[in-house]
Amino acid sequence: MLALVGTRKGLFCLWGDHDRRRWEIEGPLLDGWGIYHAMVDPRDDALFAAANHVVYGPTVQRSTDRGRTWRRSRKVGLPEASGLTVNATWHIEPGRPEEPDTLYLGADPGVLFRSDDGGDSWEPNRAILEHPTRERWLPGAGGMSCHSIQLDPLDPQRMYAAITAAGVFRSDDDGETWTPVNQDVSADFLGDPYPDVGQCPHKLLLHPAQPNRLWQQNHFGVFRSDDYGDSWTRLDGNGLPSGFGFPLMLDPTDPDTAYVIPETSPEYHYSPGARLAVYGTTDAGATWTPIADGLPVPAWAAVLREGSASDAESLYFGTQSGSFFALTDDDQWVEAVRHLPPILSVEVTSWSR
Amino acid sequence: MLAAQAEGRRTFDVAAETTGDALRALPVADLLFNERGELNRHLNVYVDGLDHRECGGLDGPLTGGHVIRVVAMVSGG
Repeated sequence: MLALVGTRKGLFCLWGDHDRRRWEIEGPLLDGWGIYHAMVDPRDDALFAAANHVVYGPTVQRSTDRGRTWRRSRKVGLPEASGLTVNATWHIEPGRPEEPDTLYLGADPGVLFRSDDGGDSWEPNRAILEHPTRERWLPGAGGMSCHSIQLDPLDPQRMYAAITAAGVFRSDDDGETWTPVNQDVSADFLGDPYPDVGQCPHKLLLHPAQPNRLWQQNHFGVFRSDDYGDSWTRLDGNGLPSGFGFPLMLDPTDPDTAYVIPETSPEYHYSPGARLAVYGTTDAGATWTPIADGLPVPAWAAVLREGSASDAESLYFGTQSGSFFALTDDDQWVEAVRHLPPILSVEVTSWSR
Repeated sequence: MLAAQAEGRRTFDVAAETTGDALRALPVADLLFNERGELNRHLNVYVDGLDHRECGGLDGPLTGGHVIRVVAMVSGG
């Protein structure tokens, strides 16, 4: 298997053996670029990276030869009338199987793009760009990022976008219009703690086998929705040391299972009590238990919103201190590599070397 | 890094009437300008060793035989 580990200074490929205990490192590819997200499009094996640089700006990079050569997309930009410019590319999501040339791109400042030519060019979603609530959106510490894009596999018209700090939005008409779906999700940093928009979702995932179910790691807790985002239930407590965190992982075979990596609080972005742990629930969030065997103690670790991944086999995450961990079948974490540049993103794919 | 985005090439011969036109003719022009055509903030551009802002900026005229250097600015500590 292959873990794509995006760092502040390039993309590292970590090749793991079948039991995830031994790993070989390759890279950095796209040397020097901040890889906010990298993924393999399962439809054609193209490798994409949202690559950003303080001098050279935001880009999308694409490779069709497993990272040996790369080609940049055409300039990702916004219309002049918007008064906005693209600050960073954040997340690339493959389109639906029946639309093989379509991909989506989330970017800062809270914008969503669509490509219908395999990622060569990107058009902004006008309804998100011109959303009537945009003036009430706020940037978070990392900017105003559109970082989560989820497509309902059973309804070709339904999709979701999560933006920091604007909230979660749902489209039921293939992106023509977007409805805020943030009921019961708090935004304690605002005067009205339960507004219709302005929430700070850190990561949103839809369960592929039960797409009415959404999970959200928010600035103010972990939430689950069982009605396409129309209402949300806060799930933290019952074993979670903190509701604050960024990553979120699901088990593609079990809609009741989810994993988070708590941090102390919005002001203290490190492991609560210096205990780095992934917390899992198998009962839809009613209870949470730590999975920490093999993780360093003490540790004041921070894992960013794209810094974890899951597949049917296991869980994976990388820290801002440059360590990458994978979980073995006997629930032991293996530190596959350490001392990478700060890890920004992790994805896994079944590629073998 | 910029050369790596141009298949390793570090120099280009271009015909252009202004400094901006010369930069826009490069295969990495998209990495030098934002979507408004504004030069990225952390780039320095020199025309024959002089800061391009002292030579008319991006509209500064070129008469031939000039050497333009694009350098990532030292900023941020």
